[in-house]
Amino acid sequence: MVIVEAKDLTYTYPNAEKPALDDVSFEIQKGEFVILTGPSGCGKTSLCRCLNGLIPHFYQGELKGKIVVNGLNVVDHPIHELAMCVGLVFQNPENQLFALSVEKDVAFGLENLGIPRKEMRERVNWAMETAGIMDLAERAPHELSGGQQQRVAIASIMAMNPEILVLDEPTSFLDPVGAKKIFGVISKLNESLDVTVILIEHRLDLVARYANHVVVMDAGKIILDGEPREVLNSEKTRMLGVGIPKVTRLFQLLEEQKALHSKKVPIMAEEMGELVRGALKA
Amino acid sequence: MSVFDGLKFRGISSPIHMLDPRIKFFYVCSIFVVAIIFFELLPLLVLFLFQIPFVILARVQKEWIRSLRGAAFLASIIFGTNILFRFIYAGYTLTASDVEYASAMTLRFIALVESFSIFFLTTSPDHLGLALEKSHIPYEFCFAFTTAVRFVPVLAEEAQTIMDAQKARGLELEKGNFLRRIRNYIPILIPLIISAIRRSLELAEAMEARAWGAIEKRTNLYTLKMKRNDYLLVLVSIAVIIVGIFVKIYVSVPTISNLLGF
Repeated sequence: MVIVEAKDLTYTYPNAEKPALDDVSFEIQKGEFVILTGPSGCGKTSLCRCLNGLIPHFYQGELKGKIVVNGLNVVDHPIHELAMCVGLVFQNPENQLFALSVEKDVAFGLENLGIPRKEMRERVNWAMETAGIMDLAERAPHELSGGQQQRVAIASIMAMNPEILVLDEPTSFLDPVGAKKIFGVISKLNESLDVTVILIEHRLDLVARYANHVVVMDAGKIILDGEPREVLNSEKTRMLGVGIPKVTRLFQLLEEQKALHSKKVPIMAEEMGELVRGALKA
Repeated sequence: MSVFDGLKFRGISSPIHMLDPRIKFFYVCSIFVVAIIFFELLPLLVLFLFQIPFVILARVQKEWIRSLRGAAFLASIIFGTNILFRFIYAGYTLTASDVEYASAMTLRFIALVESFSIFFLTTSPDHLGLALEKSHIPYEFCFAFTTAVRFVPVLAEEAQTIMDAQKARGLELEKGNFLRRIRNYIPILIPLIISAIRRSLELAEAMEARAWGAIEKRTNLYTLKMKRNDYLLVLVSIAVIIVGIFVKIYVSVPTISNLLGF
């Protein structure tokens, strides 16, 4: 089932000369784990903003083409309506927490939606449990580490029970351990709850294993769109400066020298390990 | 800054922390009224001592002492000016009752600081925001209030970072006369303001992403319910006002210098 569909989407920010998104078309199926990647300033964030209506409702500017999310045409629906089916987690964890305690923050979206207190309490507890921050419930956001803050942000979005979770470089402010924890939470949501995940990320080493769809953008256009191994192994992707997994690059170099060969391009260290072990045996 | 340190909330639980902030505010008002109507040292001393059990019950002695220490400077100015004017007014002589009057004025100020510090030390800003909401203040204002409180430590940290960065570039904050020193802070303030504006834009986006303004009547995770202790505090506050007014009208309060036979 198609859950996000964009067709000939072109968007220009107010007072900008060049469009941030240039004739973008793609489809995302329900339950997919999509990685959206590409050099800085390529339009990834703008695309995310289109998904929950920040573009065009908050940013104005000129939007052409069509984008339909969960059956709702983005242009015709206000942000708060879209927010119920698309949750957007931002880059800087600090600037998306408003309240003075974690649980109050997780409840913020539900309060805005006017959910009754009893149900709200249940959903808040569930979301905190899922994100693994139950022990932080009473703490103030500024006392938390970046990783903890970002998990609070994810919990507060998940409390609203969205069908689609969009994360805009959620780990760029975090250390690798914090990042790994975040990815763990996201993949759990994707697998156990069938939440569609759209993740903007540069650290493909850490996330390639979770993805079943990779989109590469450059200069407002979609360059590649497809199955992870295929996209990550493509010459085009590497030439754009996308940080493809190191094992994939190693495989490419070894294959060039005819030292290693496999139909299945490795994207995780484990796969590469197996390949090398196989080659050594033979 | 030490005055503000003495007003900073710390999340511990005590019977006082659990009280409804509206009632606590009423209590502060009652102390305020009584402190204002008396000019004698004795009743103000009683008022000061009367509040100490609250401090102990709330287990905020340390912070409370700090707030009093913070207020000491202002208190000494109040004492000094009172003494000075009495001295000049009475024709350059000073009596014991003059000193007592000046002490009373100082103690009045300290009693007020005491009650305010109990209020702020024991009321979480979240509850304060909730109390504002329940007092029919528009939600936007309450939200602005709690968000402002939330971002105080964040902005303080950012100011420190900017200061360090500018010092690393050779800015000398402590150099020059008073005006020059104020001017030295411009390279700190401008980046701070710009980053605050940027931050506010990101915050607005995040608010939109969480369905801000979806419906007219939003709900709240927390609720304020009057409990037994709250009613008790209402009674105490009313009693404080009644006793204060009664004493003021019907009892002639002796001054300490009279009692001691000066």
